[in-house]
Amino acid sequence: MGLKIDALTCTACMACELACGYHRDDAFALLSSCIVPYRAREKKNYIGVILKEEDSLIAARPEGTEISRIGQEQDPDKEADASAKPMLLRESCDLCEDLDDGPLCIRFCPVNAISME
Amino acid sequence: MEYLASGKIAVVDLATREIIEEELDDDLVLEKIGGAGITKSLYDRFADQDPIVLGTGLLTGSLVPGSSLGVITAKSPLTGRVSHVPLSLDAGMELKYSGFDYIVIKGISEKPVYLWIHDGIADISDSDDLWGQDVWTATDRIRDLMGDDLIQVIGIGEAGEKGSDLAQISINYWQSGDRMGFGNLFGKKRLKLIALRGMGLLEIAEPEEFIEKCGELLSAVKSGGAAKIRGIAAMAAALGAEDIGEWLQPLTHKHMACFNTSVPTNTFVFLDEDPSLLKETTVNEPGVLLTDISPLLIFKRLGLTAADACHVLKACAKYGIDAAAVAELSETTGLTDPEAIKGALPDLKGPVSSSGDAVFSPWAAVGNQEKEGWMRRQAVAYIFGIHPLFALMAPELTEEKLLDISSLGTELELTQETLDEVIADITG
Ligand code: SF4
Ligand code: SF4
Repeated sequence: MGLKIDALTCTACMACELACGYHRDDAFALLSSCIVPYRAREKKNYIGVILKEEDSLIAARPEGTEISRIGQEQDPDKEADASAKPMLLRESCDLCEDLDDGPLCIRFCPVNAISME
Repeated sequence: MEYLASGKIAVVDLATREIIEEELDDDLVLEKIGGAGITKSLYDRFADQDPIVLGTGLLTGSLVPGSSLGVITAKSPLTGRVSHVPLSLDAGMELKYSGFDYIVIKGISEKPVYLWIHDGIADISDSDDLWGQDVWTATDRIRDLMGDDLIQVIGIGEAGEKGSDLAQISINYWQSGDRMGFGNLFGKKRLKLIALRGMGLLEIAEPEEFIEKCGELLSAVKSGGAAKIRGIAAMAAALGAEDIGEWLQPLTHKHMACFNTSVPTNTFVFLDEDPSLLKETTVNEPGVLLTDISPLLIFKRLGLTAADACHVLKACAKYGIDAAAVAELSETTGLTDPEAIKGALPDLKGPVSSSGDAVFSPWAAVGNQEKEGWMRRQAVAYIFGIHPLFALMAPELTEEKLLDISSLGTELELTQETLDEVIADITG
């Protein structure tokens, strides 16, 4: 089981990032989230979402999803320019296993761009 | 102020380059709640020094749907009234996480400067490399200088530097909701831009209950009338304006939301490439993000093609001039040739009616909303930090619910009576 992200539906609103940050810190903070819409390609509107899992870094891009195995890529943080703290230093997605209602990012995505697969 | 805030106010004197930090007291929040309530009270405190006051709403940056809004309060050079301008996209959020809830900018700098607000630190620096540059170049340069592409930039272009009545503050590369000529105020103070970045943390007084209520509000919004709205054309139609969907459709790339705003209110258009392009373009220029409905409506009425209208908007964004005012003046003078409109930008002068007759920017005044209801809804949005267009489309965010969730988040008892008083104060 894992998360599936539809980058074409995503509106780059950052609700998932904020929700995941809350899941980590019980406060509003963006630094510890393991799901991050990348906003650094603001020019020409190239947006998508990066998710850190245990062994992989998933980049959901408009043209499709790319999965990098952590440790095998030369520079897996290259895609993770969405915040100052590199994705690899963050905790991996735990699918919000402690929450009865399931993943907070799914619950707070306003356009249903995230689902379980 | 312990919760949903950084708890700090910066008072920046551009004349002496002194920056004083003050605490944001609970008492001020209990009396003025937040957002425009507090920026107006800070404006009044420093009124003799013609201040520009930036701030965030009480709920800005939280998980309450639509929590993107920051506000700039100053005396409009166009209307002569103390007015409020929205900081949308990600600028309000970035200010909230920058370590300061409010920033008062007073005095006039001797030389062109910029402000760098980040992680609880505020700095003034000379802006020799930035002054004279258009909005796009200045945004690129400050991001390059700081080595961070996520810096949010509130700045001016040549229009503001040259004292145009119609100069607008920009947000990054894009047009903002400034219809009040605040770009001209920045220019007069020789303030080229404010760069914002923050990695702060906002504590919540009752976190579990607060998140539960945020979830309930989002569910209500998702089952409401706004849920299916995607992009600027759909939003215009939903608010009672002319349908520009078909006109804009051939250029439409993708719709984009402001921070945590459930409805994407902005639309990106591609002018020189195929709008259906999925992969990253190799063209290294910002492009056109449509953030304002009014100029589109006017240019369409004038008979411009969507592409011509968007080329004009691109030029306005780069030059830092309010496209709504440009469109209005084009209509008054009967100018319909896009090249002629672009060529006339440096010489344009008011008066214009695009600044409206309310203290809130009429950026969110679309269609046939009843005026009193509109004013009150704008006031609520600017106090709590809710996107002002989204607030109009999401009646599910009632005043009662916003007060209730604010009290849960802050542990402060905020009442309807206080809200009524603050609304009367900022709209009066
Ligand atoms: S499922 Fe939970 S841990 Fe995983 S990305 Fe979503 S919010 Fe974060
Ligand atoms: S919450 Fe949904 S729409 Fe918003 S950034 Fe995340 S995936 Fe995209």
